[in-house]
Amino acid sequence: MLAIEGLSKRFGGVQAVQRVDLQVRQNEILGLIGPNGSGKSTIVNLVTGVYAPTEGRVRLRARDITGWAPHRVLAAGIGRTFQSIRLFGGLTVWQNLWVARQAQAGAGRLRGWLAVDRAGMKRIEATLEFCRLLDRRDELARNLAFGEQRRLELARTLTADPEVVLLDEPAAGMNVAEIEELRDRILTLKQRGKTIVLIEHHMELVMEVAERVAVLNFGEKIAEGPPARVQDDERVREAYLGKRRD
Amino acid sequence: MVDFLQALVDGVMLGATYSLLGLGFTLIFGVLRRLNLAFGPTILVGIYAGSHLSLAWPGALVPVVAVTVAGALLAGVYVERFSFRALARQAPVVSMISTFAVWMQLQELVSLLSPSRTMPYPSPVWLPAVAVGPILLRSDGLLMWSGATLIMLALFALLYRTRFGTTIRAVADSSEAATLMGVNVAMVGAAAFLVASAVGGLAGVLIAQSHQQVTPYFGLWATVKGMTAMLLGGAGSLPGAVVGGLALGVVETQTLWHFGGQWRDLVSYALLFLVVALSPRTRWGSGL
Repeated sequence: MLAIEGLSKRFGGVQAVQRVDLQVRQNEILGLIGPNGSGKSTIVNLVTGVYAPTEGRVRLRARDITGWAPHRVLAAGIGRTFQSIRLFGGLTVWQNLWVARQAQAGAGRLRGWLAVDRAGMKRIEATLEFCRLLDRRDELARNLAFGEQRRLELARTLTADPEVVLLDEPAAGMNVAEIEELRDRILTLKQRGKTIVLIEHHMELVMEVAERVAVLNFGEKIAEGPPARVQDDERVREAYLGKRRD
Repeated sequence: MVDFLQALVDGVMLGATYSLLGLGFTLIFGVLRRLNLAFGPTILVGIYAGSHLSLAWPGALVPVVAVTVAGALLAGVYVERFSFRALARQAPVVSMISTFAVWMQLQELVSLLSPSRTMPYPSPVWLPAVAVGPILLRSDGLLMWSGATLIMLALFALLYRTRFGTTIRAVADSSEAATLMGVNVAMVGAAAFLVASAVGGLAGVLIAQSHQQVTPYFGLWATVKGMTAMLLGGAGSLPGAVVGGLALGVVETQTLWHFGGQWRDLVSYALLFLVVALSPRTRWGSGL
C-alpha cells in the first residue's frame, strides 16, 4: 500500500533518517517506535511532503509521490495528525472540519465556496460522532480540553477520508481512559478498512494494536516484525535501555 | 454637556469610517501577516478616478461610487500582485518597503494625471441635517455612519457566516495548518486582499463625500488612520479594529471641541503610543 524505499534526510550535518525501507500493507496497523530523536516524525514529514527527502522514494499503491506538496499527498489518500496539536483555535469544532473538507473537495475554488455540500456535511457529522465531539460542535477549538483537541485533530484528518492514516503520537498527554478510547478508535478504523501507521511512545498501546512494529534508532531501522519478537530483540533493548556492560 | 454629547456623536460618525479603514488593514495583516502601507494610496486612486468622472459627468452619483470602488480594487490588485504575491518568499519587511514604493508611485501618478492638486468630490449636500434635541446630526456624518455600519455588517456576515469567510479566518488562524489541510493559501490571501480593497474603496466614498475634496495626501492620511484603528484594536482582531476606529474618532472630535484642532492629531497619537506601550498582552496578529 505505502512503500518507503531507501529514504534518507539530512539536515545540515545531521543525518535524521538513513536509508530506511518500510512496507505498509493494506489494512494493517504498523507501529513505528524508537527513542526520542530517532527519526520517526521526520519520516512522517517526508511521506506527507512537509520535507523533501535527500534520497529515496515514497510510493502509494505503486504511484511515486516523492516530494509532492502536502495538499497533494492528502488528496492522494494519506492523512496525518500532528505530534503538537495544530488546530484553528479561533474556529469552532465544526468549522475546523469544514475547512479540511472544503480544501479536499473543492481546493478552495469559487464553486466550492458557493455550492451546498450535503455529502460533506453528512461526512463531518459522522466523523464528529465517531470522535465523540458531536455535542461540542459549536465550541471554539481553543476552548476544548486537551483530550478533546486531540480527538478533533484526528477528526479533522478523517474528514478528508484518507486511505492511509499516519498518527504521530496520538496518545501523548492522554490519561489511561483516553488511551483506551483511542485504542478502540484505532481498531475501529482498521475494521473500516483504513491502513494505519502508529508512531507512539506508549508501548502498551503499540503492542496491543499493531500487527507489525518497526523500530528506528539514530535514523536507521534496526528491527521489524511482530510486536512480541521485536520486544525481545537485543538491539531494540539496547536502543531503549542502553548497552549492557558485562 | 451638550458640547460633550455633540462631540461624542460626531466622533462616532467619523470613527465609523476609521473602523472601515482599520478593517481593511486588519484583513490584509491578519491573513498575510504583512503590513500594507499602500492601503491608503489605493483608495486615493479610486477617489481620484471618481472625482474625474464627476467632473466629466456631474450629478452621476452611482457611477462615481462604482468607479471609486473599481479604482481602489484595481490599485489593490496591483499592490497584491507586485508587493505581496511576487515577494511572498521574501521577509515581510521586504513587502512593506515595496508597499512604500508603490505608495509613492500611486501618489505621483494621481498628481500627474490631475488638472489640479485639490480635486472636488461630489456630496449629496441637498440632504438635510437632522436635529435630535440640542444635538445636530449633519447629513454627511449620518451618511458616513450609516454607510460604514452597513458595510461592516456585510463584512462581518461574509467573514463569520460564509464558507469563504471561514476559510479566510482559518488561514489567519494558522496558515501552516491550513496549507497542510490542503487550503490554497495564496489564493485565499489574494481574495482577502480584494475584499479589503473593496472595503477601502467604499470607505473612500464615504470619507470623500464628507470632505467634498481630495488631495494626493489622502493616501498618507488614510494609511495613518487605518493603521491607528487597527493598532488601537490590538492588530489582527476584526472587532478590535471597529472599536479602535470608533475610539480614534471620538478622541479626535473631543480634542477638537475642547482643546482646538491643533491638538487633535497629537492627542490621538499619544493615545496610540500609550495603548501599544501599556498593553503587553496586545494580540499582535493572533487570528481574526
